Amino acid sequence: MMNLVYTYQPLFDYFLLAVGFAYSQQMVLRAGVFSIGSAGFASIGAYFVAIVVKDHGMNAIVALLIATLLGCVGGFLLSIPLARLRGVFQAIATLAFVQIVVSLCLYFDELTGGPQGFNNIPKLVGTWHLLAAVLVTIYFMYVISRSAIGRAFDALRQDETVGATLGISIRKYHMIAFVLSGALAGFFGGMQSLYTFSIEPEMFGFTFLVAALTYIILGGRGTVTGPIIGALIMSVLPELARPLADNRQFFQGILMMVMIAFMPHGVFDGLVLHLRKRRAAARDKLFKEAH
Amino acid sequence: MIAQQLVNGIVTGSVYALFALGFTLIFGTFKILNLAHAGVFMSGAFIGYFAVLNGLPLWLALVLAMIGSGLISYIVELGAFATIRGSGQIEFGALISSIGANLCLMSLGQRLSNTKVLRFPFETFPVEFYEFGPVRFSFLQVIILLVVVVLLMAMMFYLYKTSFGRQIRAVSGNERVASLLGVNPGLVYFQTFFISGALAGVAGIMIGLSFNSIHFYMGEPYLLKAFVVVVLGGLGSVHGAVVAGMLLGIFQNLAVAYLPSALTETIIYGLLFVVLLVKPSGLFGSEGVQVGVARR
Repeated sequence: MMNLVYTYQPLFDYFLLAVGFAYSQQMVLRAGVFSIGSAGFASIGAYFVAIVVKDHGMNAIVALLIATLLGCVGGFLLSIPLARLRGVFQAIATLAFVQIVVSLCLYFDELTGGPQGFNNIPKLVGTWHLLAAVLVTIYFMYVISRSAIGRAFDALRQDETVGATLGISIRKYHMIAFVLSGALAGFFGGMQSLYTFSIEPEMFGFTFLVAALTYIILGGRGTVTGPIIGALIMSVLPELARPLADNRQFFQGILMMVMIAFMPHGVFDGLVLHLRKRRAAARDKLFKEAH
Repeated sequence: MIAQQLVNGIVTGSVYALFALGFTLIFGTFKILNLAHAGVFMSGAFIGYFAVLNGLPLWLALVLAMIGSGLISYIVELGAFATIRGSGQIEFGALISSIGANLCLMSLGQRLSNTKVLRFPFETFPVEFYEFGPVRFSFLQVIILLVVVVLLMAMMFYLYKTSFGRQIRAVSGNERVASLLGVNPGLVYFQTFFISGALAGVAGIMIGLSFNSIHFYMGEPYLLKAFVVVVLGGLGSVHGAVVAGMLLGIFQNLAVAYLPSALTETIIYGLLFVVLLVKPSGLFGSEGVQVGVARR
């Protein structure tokens, strides 16, 4: 039994980190903002924590808090210019932001170690810390989804014009989404650098953002459980299909295409929608029989 | 020195333009970002490489790569975009499913090459250099420029002077109205994706020849550059993509010569960011293009 735990512990840890980043990505998508900038904020948080903890001996908790704050500030600053853009244009602009962060990390190699990466970061984060962080994040996401902010996000995602006519400030709520998403990405970026010993600029590039998007699409965009399911599928699937290990990417690609074609809302959200529809149909039937 | 960088820049830029053209053609016509374009580009290089390896002459390899990558591009259309058309979430869905298609193509490339960098056999292309005063350029550069110019002219002719081109532009304007007027949208989808893939395939071979390295990951940097090119030129604008591609190539070569290379990327993407904010329709984008700017 213990053996099993030790074998799968790293997998579990990566799953937890994936859930964290997935929530950061979900936060913006939920508000109808097509930002893929989480990778950039994660990079900023990761490098900040790595540098101050290793080179300046700062307390890890303080460093993580500042990384979260940096993510907030970054999100806020990015939200100001991006308020003008929508859809694909927003996605491209945030992609540019991610590339700028990657190239700056490569350029300031005295500070960040450049392409060789930043190594020998003290490992201060274990499974329990990650688990606690994810649980707190889940609670946080749940609270937000049940609050006025969450309802405003849902309204804006479904129809911006309707949202605006209901008195929801598009600018304000998009900014809130950016700030919260940046905070989550900065925090989990910091956690990752304290977990993995070494980070490099390309870790937070295009591949990172593709992964975060995959979790959300697979799991679902509108619910708190969605990203967990998505990250779980992507973490467990390669383990279940060990004979397919060489073709893991191929099947991931096929899966993404099939999912978006047949369950455009994601596994969990699709299920919820399906059940809700069935319940509504049953209720209608009862109603008709009663009258 | 500057003249030399200009020449190199024009050649690099023409390949960027070729790559970006297929990308912008699909965006302009169907309003989707086809991230699998990088995978199609790579497949073109792979097809060309295996054709040359099997003893075919280079020109035949080029033709095969065009046809092959055109067909692959159409398969991507069928697998990734045709399935979600009409679901009402095409903008978001297309991004994800084309990332999926790209992963598939990349992993196939990885298997084919065993994760190694492939190189064309020695003397696939004669290594010759010409000198004009201070400027030195290779036979390969001349051929690349020639092929790109011919392809661009052919495409312009096709898009703006033939009935097929009018059909493509009609569908890009409004698919419903176009099909009411007797245009077969299926045929337009096939043509557009085929042309876009063929252009990417040629770009793939050109890049493979000029750096003599072909690997499964080669598409991504060009895809990221293509974003810059198409936004700079105006998403969906054909002329814009050509001019912006050239400009980017020249700028990049000058910047590499006179600036630290890591900073070049920062400047290029910074430029992309600024252009998106100041003029999202790009340098040549028509005012009619819906750019998704917020209602005020």
